[in-house]
Amino acid sequence: MIRTLRRHAWVTGLIVLLVLLFVVTKLIQPGYGAADFVSLTRAVLPYAFAVAAQTVVVIAGGIDLSVASMMALTSVTAAVMMAGTSEEYALLVVPFVLLLGFGLGALNGILIVVSRVPDIVVTLATLFMLQGAALLVLNAPGGGAAEWLKALVIGPVPIPFLPDAVDAYLPRALLLLVICLAVVWIPLKRSRIGLSLYAIGSSELAAFRSGVPVARTKILAYALSGLFGAMGGLSLTMSTGIGAPIPGPYLLASVAAVVLGGVTLGGGRGGLLGPIVAVFVLRLVRTDLTLLAVDPNVTTIIEGVIMVIVVMLGAFLAMREKRS
Amino acid sequence: MTRTMRATRIGLLAGAALVLSAAGALAQGTYTIGISNTVQGNGWREEMICAMKAQALASGKVAKLNIAHRNTDAAGQSEDIRNLISAGVNAIVVNPADPSGINAALKEATDKGIVVIAVDQAVTEPSAYIISNNQEEYAYLGAKWLFQQMGGKGDVVYMRGAAGASADSDRDKGFKKALAEFPDVKVAQEVFTGWQQDQGKQQILDFIATGTPFNGIWTSGIDNVIVDALVESGATMVPVVGADNAGFVGQLNNVQGFTGAAVTNPGSIGAAGVKLAVDILDGKKPEQKVVLVEPQLWENATEEGKAKLKAAADPSLSPEWPVSIMIPGWTDYTKEQIVACKGPGE
Repeated sequence: MIRTLRRHAWVTGLIVLLVLLFVVTKLIQPGYGAADFVSLTRAVLPYAFAVAAQTVVVIAGGIDLSVASMMALTSVTAAVMMAGTSEEYALLVVPFVLLLGFGLGALNGILIVVSRVPDIVVTLATLFMLQGAALLVLNAPGGGAAEWLKALVIGPVPIPFLPDAVDAYLPRALLLLVICLAVVWIPLKRSRIGLSLYAIGSSELAAFRSGVPVARTKILAYALSGLFGAMGGLSLTMSTGIGAPIPGPYLLASVAAVVLGGVTLGGGRGGLLGPIVAVFVLRLVRTDLTLLAVDPNVTTIIEGVIMVIVVMLGAFLAMREKRS
Repeated sequence: MTRTMRATRIGLLAGAALVLSAAGALAQGTYTIGISNTVQGNGWREEMICAMKAQALASGKVAKLNIAHRNTDAAGQSEDIRNLISAGVNAIVVNPADPSGINAALKEATDKGIVVIAVDQAVTEPSAYIISNNQEEYAYLGAKWLFQQMGGKGDVVYMRGAAGASADSDRDKGFKKALAEFPDVKVAQEVFTGWQQDQGKQQILDFIATGTPFNGIWTSGIDNVIVDALVESGATMVPVVGADNAGFVGQLNNVQGFTGAAVTNPGSIGAAGVKLAVDILDGKKPEQKVVLVEPQLWENATEEGKAKLKAAADPSLSPEWPVSIMIPGWTDYTKEQIVACKGPGE
């Protein structure tokens, strides 16, 4: 037990921080309860998918600047396809949009592998391309979403045999998030491909000399990033009922949560749980700042300061651990 | 591990204590009003926020304003609205990022008995009240005057607001209505300024550089930089229609050989939203759920218009602030209060 905690010190620390933040929130607003927790998870949803998309690529030693544009494009595509159509039709739209994200992500990877242009340049270019494409699909916010899709993120999950007071704390949005991430991430991490992802992130050359198919793995990393991005886009359409072609603030938020989540920007280290917990921390900080009615012009400064402090503290403790 | 815990705990508690003490004591009044706005760093929106603060203070009935004011999308605004619900506010005044994208969050608020008022732009959620400037009339009034100035023919540059904003689509209706009345007027160029000064100026400079002739410019409120661009590039002065921003009104009064018109679009509509919220909380519900404030047009082509402009000009205001800082019947504060931009308890 102690050993597992030690191995996952960063994530454990983040979870402790999150719990403490919940305590602080409860102190600020004694009425903070289940309904508010449900609201929090709904706010977390698009950010969580954005950060998942970023995490996969960063672990593999890259960076994906097109995350937010990918979400915008997949969101408007879904919203346009679902506008004025039947509820059943959405059953086709969802896999199509996920495939679209996967394909466009793979395209990112192929461009990087074939052209040998650095990741940051290629994905910067695709950022603009996808943004333009999103505006072509829908030049102003609009479209629609199936009712059952919207209902997927509203309210708690009703569990039989459990008192309402307990299952009120299990939001549908959280369940959706856990399922979507687990279905992709757990089998991946346990497979040879998962190991390859970490290997090329640690050292591309060493991985290549050990017989890891570097190009294929990299393309897959970007394709998965696209897939998570598409999930994020769908979650935006689900929570707003529309598609918006102008990308939201998800790119920088995803990088921030990756760093806060203990994933090394150089690649090869970290997991998915840390960044996801980090998203919760960042959103809850935003909630607390609103609850406290802090001057809105100061909130972003506070958010930034908290992030720097946590990351510096973590690095400092890690250094001391190594020395002792 | 324990070290991490201890250190983060101490840091966190210290931070929380600091923030709590900074929140400070509260002033008179009993209501808490939440405000949600999604465009930061825009003169019009800043005036709206200041008007809301001033009105809350002047009403004497608001204990605290809880302002969520940042650049974000509909999903982010829904998050802000839900946070305001968690904060236990009595009313929420919102300038919506999208007419339907935040409906779910607004519905959650009204279900909890919170009074929701959309200002400036409409929302489709039926449980919300709407108090807005009449945007269709705003565009129609200005465009019609412009086309008359152009002699009913020629090419007009159509500089819109932000794509998808409901104020922009309503204004587009008004503009198209005026256009239909003048069949010989053609749109030479249509762009979205995003209501950003720098972007609008760049766009008009790019257009002037193409050498395409034009006879008039209609702007959606990004106006004084357009006149600046015309003056700086030495282009022929054509009539320009803008909003009643202090800088533009000053130009209408002072720039030689320049004809134009300002259509009022008071940012103080935010204060009207706060007043309506307080009235409803006091039990005074309005007869209709939608209240529209009608715009006025001030032009410098006639003596009568010039007199109006002279009276309206206020060089002491920030050039991006609309000069109509008050709306008769809807605002109770003084000019000092809105310029000071302080809410209750600040």
